[in-house]
Amino acid sequence: MKLYDFTLAPSPRRVRIFLAEKGITIPFEQVDIMRNANRTAEFYRMNPLGSLPILELDDGSYLSESVAICRYVEDTHPEPTLFGAGAKEQATVEMWNRRVELSIFTPVGHVWSHLSPVSEGRTKRIKEFGVIERDAAAAGFAMLDRALGDGQFIAGARFSIADITTLCMVDFARTVDITIQTGQKNLARWYAAVSSRRSAKA
Amino acid sequence: MKIYDFKLAPNPRRVRIFLAEKGLKVPLEEIDIMKGVNRQEQFLRINPLGGIPVLELDDGRYLAESVAICRYFEELHPEPALFGKGAFERATIEMWNRRMEFALFVPIGMVWMHLHELTRARVKQIPEVGEQQKKVVEMRYRWLDEEFGQRQFIAGDKFSVADITAMVAIDFAKFNNISIEPQFKHLQRWHQAVSSRPSAAA
Repeated sequence: MKLYDFTLAPSPRRVRIFLAEKGITIPFEQVDIMRNANRTAEFYRMNPLGSLPILELDDGSYLSESVAICRYVEDTHPEPTLFGAGAKEQATVEMWNRRVELSIFTPVGHVWSHLSPVSEGRTKRIKEFGVIERDAAAAGFAMLDRALGDGQFIAGARFSIADITTLCMVDFARTVDITIQTGQKNLARWYAAVSSRRSAKA
Repeated sequence: MKIYDFKLAPNPRRVRIFLAEKGLKVPLEEIDIMKGVNRQEQFLRINPLGGIPVLELDDGRYLAESVAICRYFEELHPEPALFGKGAFERATIEMWNRRMEFALFVPIGMVWMHLHELTRARVKQIPEVGEQQKKVVEMRYRWLDEEFGQRQFIAGDKFSVADITAMVAIDFAKFNNISIEPQFKHLQRWHQAVSSRPSAAA
């Protein structure tokens, strides 16, 4: 088993943190996506969408999409659970994971593609769109701060994949100058706690 | 238990089809999102993002996000399995469901958001974004046609939640004047097959 990875990209980091929380060590192979190492025929055979991360299994099959890889790891190594236990908790974790992905991480990704100096020349940029998506991401941060309240973790009483997604999103957002605002004390408290876990360095 | 629904919107349809495949009936309450009922304070207390569907549980709690709701029903009513069985199949379905969401549904949603006349009064449209995403959708159809040349359903030889996502996305694309071109015979074959299931009318 090995993971096709790129240390600087936010999605592979989700899987690395997930593995660290499970206490699992597997080999990582770097694929330099900034140099388009994922735009080769060989890579498209592993993942037709050309994205990272990809998990290569021992039988030679491939799994892509961060959360699909995490779910595979969860099913093969159930403890500690990071997707929740029982119908209600599992659905709540899924809900929060998706809220953060679709309503915050996706706009942050658009800001990166359309405004970041690092992505210049990679796709056709529409600056006006980047600006709208920046506002959407900022609104997402405010929603998260309100929803967290005094709570310890994003989806409830225990650490879950939704915290991993949010941590990777917040750190990625910082690269395009979207940050936790001074008044967002709940989010700041949560961030300090989650980013000081050992897994955050993975 | 009840579901806040809107007949014409694509996401609630995913849940209605899922329930029909499971043979389950849950009361539906119509929320007219075109009139902005979901943007009013009363609804935002139910779902801070204002999206539908939302499932109201008997204990008064709420679950939002289509796939989170589907997963809740999968846990309570495992048969027929629509999220797969066993680690590899479950991860493969998760992978395909996410590909259908992020690589297909999201660009279709952006076409709707930035080009359709019905959204013009509600959001700031950037037609260039819509045109760019329309090209992305056309590329995805070409890719999906190749995939459906290799197997019966999107994630394998069984119908799954990933087929529901893909069908709802493609039907929503049609509403945005994007049709499956006649040369994409495999994609057409699959679309006819899933559309003729009784659940498709849910």
